[in-house]
Amino acid sequence: MKFTKLNKFTMKNPLIQVFKFVYLSVKIMFVVALGHGSTRN
Amino acid sequence: MAKIVILGAGIAGHTAAAHLRRKLNKTHEVLVVSPNSNYQWVPSNIWVGIGKMTSKDIIFPLKPLYKKKGIGFKQAKVMSFYPEGSNQLIKPHVKVEYVTGEREGTEELVDYDYLINATGPKLAFDLTPGLIPGIHNTYSVCTFGHATEAWKALKELIATVKKTGENAKIIIGTGHAKSTCQGAAFEYILNVEKVINDSGLRDKFEITWLSNEYDLGDFGMDGMLLKYGRKNISSAEMVKSVFEDRGIKWITKSGVNKIEKGVAFYENLAGERKEAHFDFAMLIPAFSGHGFKSYDKAGQENTSKLFKGFMLVDADYSSKPYEEWTAQDWPETYQNPSYDNIFAPGIAFAPPHSISRPRKNEAGTEIYPAPPRTGMPSGITAKLVADNIIDQIKNNNKNLSHKGSMANMGAACIASAGYGAFSGSGVSITTFPIVPDYKKYPKTQGRKLGKTFGDIGLAGHWLKLTLHYAFLYKAKMKPFWWIIPE
Repeated sequence: MKFTKLNKFTMKNPLIQVFKFVYLSVKIMFVVALGHGSTRN
Repeated sequence: MAKIVILGAGIAGHTAAAHLRRKLNKTHEVLVVSPNSNYQWVPSNIWVGIGKMTSKDIIFPLKPLYKKKGIGFKQAKVMSFYPEGSNQLIKPHVKVEYVTGEREGTEELVDYDYLINATGPKLAFDLTPGLIPGIHNTYSVCTFGHATEAWKALKELIATVKKTGENAKIIIGTGHAKSTCQGAAFEYILNVEKVINDSGLRDKFEITWLSNEYDLGDFGMDGMLLKYGRKNISSAEMVKSVFEDRGIKWITKSGVNKIEKGVAFYENLAGERKEAHFDFAMLIPAFSGHGFKSYDKAGQENTSKLFKGFMLVDADYSSKPYEEWTAQDWPETYQNPSYDNIFAPGIAFAPPHSISRPRKNEAGTEIYPAPPRTGMPSGITAKLVADNIIDQIKNNNKNLSHKGSMANMGAACIASAGYGAFSGSGVSITTFPIVPDYKKYPKTQGRKLGKTFGDIGLAGHWLKLTLHYAFLYKAKMKPFWWIIPE
């Protein structure tokens, strides 16, 4: 995988990244805060 | 009335103390014993190591906070364990030694009804001869003091290169064949690269990643297959792309076994013995247990009931090959099997085995990462231990209904890739579960795709910064701190 110019633009553009920030915050919260438990039952 | 003693005031110990104090009334005693006077938010040490934060940004004193919240505090280090009591004190207790103030050097027996061992790891620099922070041009970011020292040296090196125009070499990675915490080193190398790039001297520096991982992106978690945008890629591919983009070289499959001034001696899985030269290195040491001893009621040593390096808990410690490892090997309640009032969340528990596949070269040298246990699982396991103790005290419920195996727990690793409000970057990775469950997710390398994903960009930097402030707010137990998840 090589980062293209478009990839780099997306990674650095503050406006796009504001939306990304909201998206990632929700998604991360979903992954880590929604439970943990046993593997033995 | 119950007395809960917590050894250690890091992420696990402090989290447990905070939840116990909030949920138990004041007739119950919560006491923290720690040799450290400050709480430190360790994940931000890497920013201290590049001069973007100072120690005061990541630490605060524990004593005033604990006094305000009704948590007892002794600034002392634990020396030995007496889980059955002794001829000096009938109740189970630990022997501690004060490390500061008028009582410095004096010992005391501290009794308990419940004991939470959250003493974390010992930074075992001594396992790699010559690896001493601040000596031989090697540095560490494991504590805020080490990180401050690292930044001072890095700043001096940049100034020297600017003045002399000479080239310089930097090595960042792991300083022992079985080190863990590759994630912190990964963050640091990217932040250092950005600082050098910002100084306009990038072409003068050769920056190299030196690690015990079999492949890039292993992170002590056996690597991972993750969702990246619409693609599924390996963590190795993702990290390789970042390193190539930043002009960072890499050496993997290698265990550093000795340091001399400006030279790292290492051995790799092919059995070759090599040297890497540097002007500045940040190498994560091995982590080990603290070497505590335990004694039974008669005064006979019974350390093997409590410790196997780290503390024994409800894991499956039977020796078996990698192919037979299962998710069920990993502990769920962090309760010691011999003494049901002793628990060890966070880094203090002995893992059943590594997460990465163990490998050794023909000479028999084992070179692979030890399992990482970062802030998030430390906090989660500490909270569930606190909740189980609260259940026992309030409801006499001995069932330990709160469980959290690292093989059924998600984690987020928001790795800073450079500091800057608009020029910063971060590599955001979530993984579910932390320990791969190859039976449950056989086609996706033991993890659930989608819940295991990666992203790179400025938002990652903002996220890491947000977490820094949010978790310090939580640690200071400010209003509604408990709403913020571990």
